[in-house]
Amino acid sequence: MLIRILKSSFLKRPKPVLLVLLSIVMGSAVATAFLGISGELSHKMALELRSYGANIVLEPAAGEAGSLKSDDLPKIKTIFWKHNIVGFAPYLFGQVDFGSAAGRQRGVVAGTWFGRPLQVPGEPDSIQGVKVTAPWWELDGRWPETPDEAVIGAALAKRLKVAPGSDITAAAAGKSRTFHIVGVASTGGFEEEQLFAPLAEVQTLLNKPGQLSRVLVSALTVPMDDFGRKNPSRMTREEYEKWYCTAYVTSVAKGVEEVMGGSRAKPIWQIASAEGALLKKLESLMLLLTVLALFSAACAVSSSLMAAMAKRSPEIALMKTMGADRFQIAAIFLGETLVISLLGGLLGYLAGDRLAVVISRTVFDSTVTSPLWLFPTAIGAALVVALAGSAAPLKRALAVEPVRVLKG
Amino acid sequence: MAAAIIETSQLTRSYGDICALKPLDLCVPEGEWLTVMGHSGSGKSTLLNLLGGLDRPTGGSISVRGTDLATLSEDGLARFRRDCVGIIFQQHHLIPYLTALENVMMSQYFHSVPDEAEARHALERVGLGHRLKNRPGELSGGEQQRVCIARAIINSPRLLLGDEPTGNLDHKSTTMVMELLRDLRDEDRFSIVMVTHNQEVAAWGDRTIHMDDGCLVREERTKGC
Ligand SMILES: Nc1ncnc2c1ncn2[C@@H]1O[C@H](COP(=O)(O)OP(=O)(O)OP(=O)(O)O)[C@@H](O)[C@H]1O
Ligand SMILES: [Mg+2]
Repeated sequence: MLIRILKSSFLKRPKPVLLVLLSIVMGSAVATAFLGISGELSHKMALELRSYGANIVLEPAAGEAGSLKSDDLPKIKTIFWKHNIVGFAPYLFGQVDFGSAAGRQRGVVAGTWFGRPLQVPGEPDSIQGVKVTAPWWELDGRWPETPDEAVIGAALAKRLKVAPGSDITAAAAGKSRTFHIVGVASTGGFEEEQLFAPLAEVQTLLNKPGQLSRVLVSALTVPMDDFGRKNPSRMTREEYEKWYCTAYVTSVAKGVEEVMGGSRAKPIWQIASAEGALLKKLESLMLLLTVLALFSAACAVSSSLMAAMAKRSPEIALMKTMGADRFQIAAIFLGETLVISLLGGLLGYLAGDRLAVVISRTVFDSTVTSPLWLFPTAIGAALVVALAGSAAPLKRALAVEPVRVLKG
Repeated sequence: MAAAIIETSQLTRSYGDICALKPLDLCVPEGEWLTVMGHSGSGKSTLLNLLGGLDRPTGGSISVRGTDLATLSEDGLARFRRDCVGIIFQQHHLIPYLTALENVMMSQYFHSVPDEAEARHALERVGLGHRLKNRPGELSGGEQQRVCIARAIINSPRLLLGDEPTGNLDHKSTTMVMELLRDLRDEDRFSIVMVTHNQEVAAWGDRTIHMDDGCLVREERTKGC
């Protein structure tokens, strides 16, 4: 009977029903679209933020056994979080005597990869090196391409009076090597005091074959939360697994550390925290917008239901006269609301999903695949909107006095 | 004499300063057909609404079938309405988007469970077996009022209340409705309290009370009882 009442009441009053349906669809669509692109937005933002530089640093572990070997580097692309590794760059630092047209001076040489193709079986080929981890370097000239080419920091270049095209000699422990300068790097940091040369050449020059002093890793991570800040060594098994399987900067660091024998990995907190805070703010903003959209939809539902209710008060009065109690009246109206909101949630989901695709194509120039949880979320949002919106009208319906309304 | 279905003592209903119903003692025996007459504004509808549990008295007591209505909660009154009384108004208050059959079944739904066969039978009893699927807009005034009667008796109430049920009907329809009510009462033995302005309609009842300005001023027997 309830179903019959509902069916007839929908079919006979299409206008108010459509109005309510529209509000619910809008609310649910906007919520779906926002939530749908918020994942994409966070991801894009995180990628964008990765250009601030590496957020994990690997150094030889303290003590005798501590070491960092260049042979282990490809393993970084095999860890659990390998897809989150945007890039990495190895470094070997050493004190050398520089010789140039301006004379001799002591300074630091850094052996590194500039943009080195990396092939790891089973993984897509990638380019690794400074180009990837430090895209903000301003280079006057170009990146080295052959083993005897090098990039010099701007400050060191000034001291040694060298420019792209000049040669510079680095000497250490009785060995010496001449590099052809192809670029001058301005970074605003300590890098400006160093000469950057191909890793293998510097390893030979310093007589440290296969050794590294540092690896900088740039990884996509999720913002730290209270759980992420817990000490992993004091976690239960399940907790540890959850922690390990969440892309916290600490758990990604842990994964890298595990494959690089003798190393110690640490998050670079000033980068990792700032990034986390920004992403969190972005998430809050999206959430706030979603809640606002839902709230305004609920208001719209409430006002159109209120109007419909005023028209229906004779009907309600009649039901009460027939002996309907508050529960039965509520059941009819909530039943209607429920049906409308389920339908609204479904349509809202479909519309929102489309909207998300359009937004992500126009704004981010990418395609989104909406996560599975979005559907129940859209339905849930519609329900919340409908229920919140029908509270006041329902209260009004229950307050109808048959005697006043049915008066002849 | 049969037991009383309605007993009121010093029953009063006032709206602020206006006293719509002055202290009234009324006793209606089980099975009686009582007619209430009086000028407009004399408190007839007020009394009827109190008897039907649609309104609460401001003073005195009212008991229907031994239940003191003053003690009932909001939902208790709703339960009382669905179990004990059937109400017919002057306007044929039907739900416009439901068919005649569905309108009757709705009353069943609030009472217990809808039973289509029973609802159809009720409409056949009021002579509308052929208009089951019509909506109120497609029925004449007399037919609509008969749907209301079918709806009012569907849950076998012991008390049928009518507030000028024939007020909008012509002579022929009025006679038809009154005959119908008489036949139904003869079969189901319920009591009737009916408000009317029509002397002819009053003649169908057992007893008539006359009201003026909220007071019972006169009462007469129309038939031997
Ligand atoms: N809700 C109300 N608020 C204030 N006064 C009311 C209210 N309902 C009824 N009254 C007053 O109570 C008195 C009795 O009203 P009631 O409706 O019982 O009259 P009635 O005998 O049914 O009249 P009619 O034959 O015109 O239907 C009237 O004076 C009316 O103005
Ligand atoms: Mg009246």
